[in-house]
Amino acid sequence: MSYSVDSHPVFRRVTTDYRQEIRSIGRTGSRGLAVTVVVLGILLPWAFSRDVSPPFAFPWSTWAAVLNLSLLSALGATAFNVLVGYTGQLSLAHAGFLTVGAMTTGYLGTEAGLPFLVVLVLGTVVGAVVGILVGLPALRLKGYYLLLATLGVYFISQLAWKEFLVANYGFVGMIVDRPQLPAFTSGWPLIGTDTGEGLILSNNFRWYIVLAPICILVMLFLSNLTRSREGRAFAAVRERDVSASLIGIDVARTKLLAFAVSSAVVTLSGALSSYYLSARGEDSFPFAVTLNFAIMIVVGGFSSIQGAIFGAVFFHAMPELTKWIRSEAPVLRDIDYLRTHSGEIDLLIFGALVVLVLTTRPDGLAGLWAQIKGWFTKWPFST
Amino acid sequence: MTQLAFDAAVNLQLAIGGVALGSIYGIVALGFVLVFKSTGVLNLAQGDFLMLGAYLSVTLLLTNDLGLYMAIPLLALFMGFLGLSVHYSVMRHLVGQPFFSIVLVTIGIGTIIRAVLLMVYGPIEKGRLRALPEGSFKIGSVQVLWANVIIIAIIALILLMFVMFFRLTRLGLHIRAVADNLEAAAAQGIRPDSVYAMTWGVSLALVGIAGLLFGNVNNVTPAASTIGLAALPAAVIGGFSSLGGAIVGGLIVGVVEILLGYHLGQSWRQPSAFMLLFIILLVKPTGLFGGKEFERV
Amino acid sequence: MAVLNMSGQTASGTGEGIKVDGLEVSYGGVVALRGISLEIGPGGFVAVLGANGAGKTTLVRTLTGLLPLHKGRVTAGGATLNGVSVVGRTSRDLVKSGLAQVPEGRKLFPRLTVEENLLCGAATRTDKSEMDANLERVFELFPRIHDRLKQQAGYLSGGEQQMVAVGRALMANPRFLICDELSLGLAPMIVSQLFELLTRVREDGVGVLVIEQNARLALQHTEDAYVIEVGRIEHSGKSLNLRNDPVVQDLYLGGGGEATAAFSEIAARPRRWRR
Repeated sequence: MSYSVDSHPVFRRVTTDYRQEIRSIGRTGSRGLAVTVVVLGILLPWAFSRDVSPPFAFPWSTWAAVLNLSLLSALGATAFNVLVGYTGQLSLAHAGFLTVGAMTTGYLGTEAGLPFLVVLVLGTVVGAVVGILVGLPALRLKGYYLLLATLGVYFISQLAWKEFLVANYGFVGMIVDRPQLPAFTSGWPLIGTDTGEGLILSNNFRWYIVLAPICILVMLFLSNLTRSREGRAFAAVRERDVSASLIGIDVARTKLLAFAVSSAVVTLSGALSSYYLSARGEDSFPFAVTLNFAIMIVVGGFSSIQGAIFGAVFFHAMPELTKWIRSEAPVLRDIDYLRTHSGEIDLLIFGALVVLVLTTRPDGLAGLWAQIKGWFTKWPFST
Repeated sequence: MTQLAFDAAVNLQLAIGGVALGSIYGIVALGFVLVFKSTGVLNLAQGDFLMLGAYLSVTLLLTNDLGLYMAIPLLALFMGFLGLSVHYSVMRHLVGQPFFSIVLVTIGIGTIIRAVLLMVYGPIEKGRLRALPEGSFKIGSVQVLWANVIIIAIIALILLMFVMFFRLTRLGLHIRAVADNLEAAAAQGIRPDSVYAMTWGVSLALVGIAGLLFGNVNNVTPAASTIGLAALPAAVIGGFSSLGGAIVGGLIVGVVEILLGYHLGQSWRQPSAFMLLFIILLVKPTGLFGGKEFERV
Repeated sequence: MAVLNMSGQTASGTGEGIKVDGLEVSYGGVVALRGISLEIGPGGFVAVLGANGAGKTTLVRTLTGLLPLHKGRVTAGGATLNGVSVVGRTSRDLVKSGLAQVPEGRKLFPRLTVEENLLCGAATRTDKSEMDANLERVFELFPRIHDRLKQQAGYLSGGEQQMVAVGRALMANPRFLICDELSLGLAPMIVSQLFELLTRVREDGVGVLVIEQNARLALQHTEDAYVIEVGRIEHSGKSLNLRNDPVVQDLYLGGGGEATAAFSEIAARPRRWRR
């Protein structure tokens, strides 16, 4: 029996040349798996939105929301990871960029009445520009100084947001209409048709159709970025920026690129979520939002795109899970306190998890996943 | 308003209030810098600990009606023990982990504390504590609140005790030694573990007292944790590695915050500390009293 | 390598002493020390010599409990202090058992005063009168320290800093003193003075272990010596004998007592290769 490298169960996973190294699919999993995920990802939510009776009386409608929110958060978390995990720029400003996204939506979408997709694109651009502005002082600041300065960016963004709200919406808060896709989408199969005009994103499934491709595209982009020349420059800057400049990397440009890309994506996420959630007020971006990202990154696992996805899903799924357990489990069902204080209890669980994960298993869920995959890959040699 | 804006007496009055608030920030910043210098940890939960101090004071002063001067030592003791346990249960397991991980752990700890406080005390405002004497007196045309004077006096006393502890006691010496050169300290037989734990204890005790005093100046609300974060820029403004600088930074932030809040509106108070931070970092990236930092390649 | 019996007191005789036996130490997968055996008894004066990277610092870390801090492990053999193994014990424990260290590069506390540095040395002692007596002894040995008592240690000259470092170690009331690279960065005259002072320290019954690159001075003042090369002991014996050993002279003493030799002669001498 002869083994070629391509069919060998173990050696197949090892890359043998540069092109293999930078390939995105075929590296983290087989092509078959990727296709399966895509197909399932489209079919399942559609099937359940069509009243195919789901098993176990599971609250699928709630979980559809969880899915969409996870997609939105995954964008932000991945971008955060690129800036902090890959490039080592300790930034806590991203809640501020979400706010910028909301302001862009408000100004360009509601006030100026620009169409949905145009607002998204413009919002991304605005995010990139603001990101560069924030990144400029970052060139001079190190470590904890940068951390605190970016924290300041967040607080200042809140001031700007409050002024923006008062100037444009009074005390009501910002209300965003349901976005409408361009006219050519009205006749599409599977989604159902509206009037002759474009599709209105009025339920979770339609949102999913829009969000999923956007997310996949952006994450592919970010994933490719980290494996490209720029991505290696990111890593070099993270490790030792002085040394990186010695080997010819333009440190300033690299840092600014990281800030620009990361901020653009987070702003996009903020704009999208403003459309999705429809109403944004003074208190829509409390400091806790910053912590939310931190929770996602920590639990999901540092420095990996997968980690951000795991973390985002976990962050939105867990409260639903606990709510479901709480209302179904025999003993817990009757404890009223758990219901009235569900918010704080979720917070407590998150905080405890962050501490636990960091003290016991710093590479988070992604690390766990990698370990499981490794076990299967190395079988029967797995430890 | 323009008339009042330039009224020296009013501004002076505000400034005194700012000094009182600023001295509270200064103590919080001091605890922050202490932990950082000694253990290298950036404790982002400092605001949540301030909140803890404020809420515990509600229990001590309102529910149990202890006097101010009994409540302070009790609170300090409790927070001190809490600091010890924070080190022994969590922080010591993170020695050697990357910097950002440790920062995130402190965020996690802060989240836990905030959650527990919300669960125990509920999310509604608790109103201001009134353990300090009301009333005021006049110096010339300036109205001075007794409460402010007492706050400043208490904090001055605590600072004095701290300085004495830090410079004159054996433990204080060991803390300074560990902050100066960890390996050399270990070589002398100093136990870094105990030193770290005591540092956390002292830091939290300081923040706890700050929380109690804070509760007398502001309403006790869950927002206290975000307000407490203003102490972080205070620490940086004062030059991050300087203990004295932390106090000065706090005072500056306090005065600026009160003045800006009065002249430009309350929503300017929260970001004022950070705006000040930006300005100072632009001019002197190592803060007012910070020394140069070198990185060897 | 053969373990030497020290002149006069042997370790096994009085029960006191540092005894290293077949020690092997690794950092991760890299072996830094192999088969190291040496001894020092009370009042002894031993030198451990070797070039940069030979493994001397690793030996010091093993003896003073700082090995885990640098991610090192003892992978074979052992070392004992007064009959009790040092492996796995904390620095604090070892200092309390009478083993003090003058670290490489002095490692003073730069922002603390000289006096405070000395007091830190007494971190493991509790007896106030004993501490005062030790302080007096330090002032006696190093009168210059007394003049600089209230100055910040970071501002002292190299030689003065070294004296403070030794004084700080003495404040721990040790039975054994390990001096790591005492001569580093110091003028030869000062180093000579330091070595003479160490001889006086021995009068109090303290055994002194000197780790040195400067072989000449070390062999001049000490009684016994070991030479480590690439993690192994290649030479050992009385310092006097080693001083006159041609191979040691060749490698560490600049060619011994000869004046100048022609290049061809030097090139013809047998070279030592790594094993």
